[in-house]
Amino acid sequence: MKCLSWLLASSLVCGLALGASSAAAQRAACSEADAEALDWLARMARSHSEVAYHGVVTLQRGDDMQVVQVARSLADGYSSEHLTRLTGQGAQVIRSHHPINCTHPGERLLNLGDRVDPGDCGLAGYYRFQLSPGERIAGRQSVKLEIQPRDMYRYGFLLELDKETALMLRASTLGRGDKVLERFQFADLSYGEPLEPRQGMETVHPAAHPHPDYPAAGARLTVPWTVSWLPGGFTATDNVDPAGSRRTYTDGLAVFSVFLEQLPRELRPGEGLARLGSSLSYTRGMHLAEQPVLVTVIGEVPVNTARMVADSIRVVR
Amino acid sequence: MTEQLRESLSALMDDEATELELHRVLGELEHNTDLRQTWVRYQVARSVMAGQPVSHAGLDISRSVSAALAAEAGAGERRPGLRERWLRPLASLAVAASVTAVVVLGGQQLYQAGSPDAVSAPVAASGVSAVGFVNSLGAVPMRASYGAQAVPQLEPAARTAYRELARQRMYQYMQEHAEHAALNSPQGLIPFARVPQIEE
Repeated sequence: MKCLSWLLASSLVCGLALGASSAAAQRAACSEADAEALDWLARMARSHSEVAYHGVVTLQRGDDMQVVQVARSLADGYSSEHLTRLTGQGAQVIRSHHPINCTHPGERLLNLGDRVDPGDCGLAGYYRFQLSPGERIAGRQSVKLEIQPRDMYRYGFLLELDKETALMLRASTLGRGDKVLERFQFADLSYGEPLEPRQGMETVHPAAHPHPDYPAAGARLTVPWTVSWLPGGFTATDNVDPAGSRRTYTDGLAVFSVFLEQLPRELRPGEGLARLGSSLSYTRGMHLAEQPVLVTVIGEVPVNTARMVADSIRVVR
Repeated sequence: MTEQLRESLSALMDDEATELELHRVLGELEHNTDLRQTWVRYQVARSVMAGQPVSHAGLDISRSVSAALAAEAGAGERRPGLRERWLRPLASLAVAASVTAVVVLGGQQLYQAGSPDAVSAPVAASGVSAVGFVNSLGAVPMRASYGAQAVPQLEPAARTAYRELARQRMYQYMQEHAEHAALNSPQGLIPFARVPQIEE
């Protein structure tokens, strides 16, 4: 599906870009050491719309290792991407015809130039950065970007980017004590030549394109609700429908979603947790407007964050 | 409860509080019932996460923590030499560690003293019916949820049931989460690789 309202999206981006000159001033106010790292992050975000490639990626989570084939091609202002599982389930995800200038909040957060608030160092307010030369990954020379969280509400990352294109070659999500929770890595990478998606997959899923300016259609609840606390730097990825069943938030690097279900009958209050690599599912049975509800936080954040977010859910009156 | 207090409390429960936060929370616990309740709830949650059964009573061990701190402070009042001042940050860490020890030990003692019909949360004692989900769904992704199908009856262990719920919800919601994560995090479509079972 296309970016529904191309015009609206681009006007939004332009509106934010007006603040670029003041952004340059605040960038000077933010730490010099971070500036270079932030430039790399911005380049990495832009590489999305500038670099066509295909390759094989491994995703390691604990003992579990998955191998997927990924590709992106660019033509006439549109990008097309696909991801094919080479291990386990024979599934493919395709996102075709995505306008290159249709940017989403996560990407904008990585572009410090888009920030308008004075004194706002963007991501540098929530993470510490350290840049150093990296090793060879998938045959490409890399730069290493160590990203440490400044608070306890998010994980750290170790990103290794292609020295020439800023494409992310390897990304490790780091928990407490720098424990690697998940590692994504290119095993093989080629730039340029487009690659046809593999045939014969059992499942072919066209990725949805939730427009940043419109709430997604979906289940609607009778209790309008709001998340009254978010860790610093997190913003909603799309327009929030108060009666919608889902909210998704990002700080540019980490993403989590909150789902709310109204239950047909009482559920003993309590909470539960399931983890897979850096992903977390935190479920809490509670009451909202005296009705039993089940809140679930899914995402790549520490359990403490999920619990506090669930704690802060309120009815909108 | 103020935002700051809640964050401090949460940090305390995650062993990440500074000594300052610790004192603030403990000071406030004395006369703030709201905070006391949250403290007890977090503590129950923590024990649940750690896989320990929790008894419904007497989880508030803030008094023993206060006492431990007072003893620690008393010990520190001797004229501090240069060497001691240097070591002070270490001493603070030791206080935080001893608090953790008290918290954990307290919980275990309570567990041993606890009745066999331990419950998962103090609020559950208020007599709501035990409705829930049974741990029998295996790796089958559970679509939709309560609406379409009968909700299985809960086995007594609410803790296990909630863990199972969390696991089922991960299956149920991971793809929807990935749809948004893929557009808002820097790894392209990779978030879909985290989805246990991709569906069309």
